[in-house]
Amino acid sequence: MLAALSWVQALTFGLASLIVIMGGIGVVAFRNSVHNALSLVATLFGVAVLYVAQGAYFLAAIQVIVYAGAIVVLFLFVIMLLGVDKVESLAKERKTASLLIGSALGAGFAVMLLFAALAGAGRGAPTGAPSVTGVLDNTKDLNNIGEALFTKYVFAFELTSLLLTIAVVGAVVLSRKPSGDPIDLDEFPPVESGTADSEPQEVES
Amino acid sequence: MSQYLPILVMIVLAALFGGISLVMAKLLNPSRPTAAQTAPYECGIVEQTESPERFPVRFYLVAMIFIVFDIEIIFLYPFTTVYGRLGTFGLLAVIEFAVAVFASFLYLIANGALDWGPAKQSRKGDLGIDSARTSTSTIRRVGLEGREAA
Amino acid sequence: MIAVDPLLEAGGWSSIWITLLKVVVAFGLLLVSVIAMVWFERKLHADFSNRLGPRVAGPFGTLQTIADGMKLIFKADLLPSKADKVVFRLAPFLSLVPAFLTFVVVPVGGDFTDGGSGVVKIAGNSTLLQVADPQIGILFVLAMSSVAVYGIMLAGWSSGSKYPLLGSVRASAQMVSYEAALGLSLLCVLLNSGNLSTNSIVASQSNWNWNLWATGIVPFVVFLLAATAEMNRPPFDLVEAEQELVGGFHTEYSSFRFAMFYLAEFMNVITVSAVIATLFLGGPIGPNFGTTGWLAQYVFPVLWFFLKVLGLMIMFVLFRTTLPRLRYDQLMDLGWKLMIPLSLGWFLLLVGFKIGDDRGWSPFAVGVVGLVGLAIGGGLLSIAIRTSQARSAEHKVGA
Repeated sequence: MLAALSWVQALTFGLASLIVIMGGIGVVAFRNSVHNALSLVATLFGVAVLYVAQGAYFLAAIQVIVYAGAIVVLFLFVIMLLGVDKVESLAKERKTASLLIGSALGAGFAVMLLFAALAGAGRGAPTGAPSVTGVLDNTKDLNNIGEALFTKYVFAFELTSLLLTIAVVGAVVLSRKPSGDPIDLDEFPPVESGTADSEPQEVES
Repeated sequence: MSQYLPILVMIVLAALFGGISLVMAKLLNPSRPTAAQTAPYECGIVEQTESPERFPVRFYLVAMIFIVFDIEIIFLYPFTTVYGRLGTFGLLAVIEFAVAVFASFLYLIANGALDWGPAKQSRKGDLGIDSARTSTSTIRRVGLEGREAA
Repeated sequence: MIAVDPLLEAGGWSSIWITLLKVVVAFGLLLVSVIAMVWFERKLHADFSNRLGPRVAGPFGTLQTIADGMKLIFKADLLPSKADKVVFRLAPFLSLVPAFLTFVVVPVGGDFTDGGSGVVKIAGNSTLLQVADPQIGILFVLAMSSVAVYGIMLAGWSSGSKYPLLGSVRASAQMVSYEAALGLSLLCVLLNSGNLSTNSIVASQSNWNWNLWATGIVPFVVFLLAATAEMNRPPFDLVEAEQELVGGFHTEYSSFRFAMFYLAEFMNVITVSAVIATLFLGGPIGPNFGTTGWLAQYVFPVLWFFLKVLGLMIMFVLFRTTLPRLRYDQLMDLGWKLMIPLSLGWFLLLVGFKIGDDRGWSPFAVGVVGLVGLAIGGGLLSIAIRTSQARSAEHKVGA
């Protein structure tokens, strides 16, 4: 099967890239925001498949668990439950300016990628940077990550916990009212005093 | 990578199972829906209001907090495979990490970010309900007309 | 230790055929067992509530599920007028496919006694009695449960109707919350196996070293409850609390699209039972009475595995028949304020024991220090909860 592996890998790469690119186009092209978010999920899955093809299994798993399972779920929550697409019409925004800036940034990014690819072409490392652990051993990627994370990068690891704490604080602060009250988690603004009496059970005796 | 071949085959099989059954259903079942059948189900009541478009802040907050905790848990997976070799140093590193997680968790709870309790209980005094309004004062007894004089 | 299925590493066409055979067998097995599970649950549930349950179709009503499936295929397949048609059609697949997939990583047999690796020979090829043994192993289960959230979330949203939307919002917040507890309790199991592969997890439990007691009951209980909530099974079935939300997220679904959700739901009970058996009850491990060969590799392990899964499934049915549904705030409090901190603390305690074991620390001292730490954490947590209650009361009343 070793001889067959190369075309299997090529096929996997082709299909996964196709999913990634189609998903990427979908994120931009669909009009419905939920369809955009779902295209994003497709892209993330495609990238996960690419990770698997490269032997980075743990990365593939957390790609699905964190990105698809948590982050896009939050996106969908916001899109589905906030009625965003009905409140703000994207068509009203100034299109030409964003189109110009966007295409300029995109072109710049494309050039950058091209240079990176060309620079690494001869060395077999597309990004130009050597990997932390050298050649990936298929059965040991988690051990390698663990070892790197808890020895060489342990300071960064602890800093990450700090960063995540800041994220938690940020989430709480954002959901507060500007005046700094405790979070009002109620679905609707509290009943104004005085209006509560005008409920239908008002009875004249 | 070859370990993932069975998974791919299973995806295809499961999708085919669903797809073929749906095609079968399409061929076999009647498809002349009436307007009442395709209307949103509201237990027989004609729909008068749109579906809610906005939901409580708590749901977003839960989704946001979950992202943070998910990432924190993910960091602990590599730890389970290498902790034996790390020894005391690993224990200290993970305890420090856990303390940071727990501190943010305490902050969340103390700020009521994870509270789902019925707010009405604590808001009773806030609703402007007069304490004189009891069941005897608000419920009109019917069928007493003409008898009260007697 | 072999962390992957040797069959697929060896290569060759025979390995591909055997793989395909295993997938097809697992697929058929799942379908048959889901049919049995639906009957089993309905029958048991009926017995507990003093009813007869299915008894007409087939002997003892065993063919009831097939009859139901046939009926559903002939029913009109309605597409609600306000539905988002693409997503509405996609959602059942997002529910059904992960339900099938999760079972892939569960080892159902093989000889694990005395550190055996569970490898069996099929037609001269070494393989494992599980469909796939990917390196990420148990994380695959978590990934599938993340995907399953989409099925429910999108089904509710795309219906364009109120009850499904409410049900799916509840469901997604609930599933997302309990996924954290699920992941944390899983960590305790991984400490014992040192590897994510389900095969190593089972192998680490041989010689009666089951994770149920090797990790000290707590992770098992947390995992069991979190998995029940993750499946939206009673007593955590607020998603489809029929008195409130008709059918929850699948209210607008009919015909075979509904059947797909229904199948996925019951299949999840089977796979989750199998996963719990693998993680905590040693999967196919059990006494093989000194036998060797095919008896020790196939018959006894598969029998033990089946019995464990059956026991867990009875437990899930018992949950449904005996426990009243939780309120949403109770559900969220249980998940966030009890299970997550508890499993985090327990994980640290186990890490302390494990490392103390290596370093030769006294287990008693580690236990005392750990329990003091847990107590301090618990105290801080209760202070935080009380602070929040006081603040909310002050805010709400004083406003």
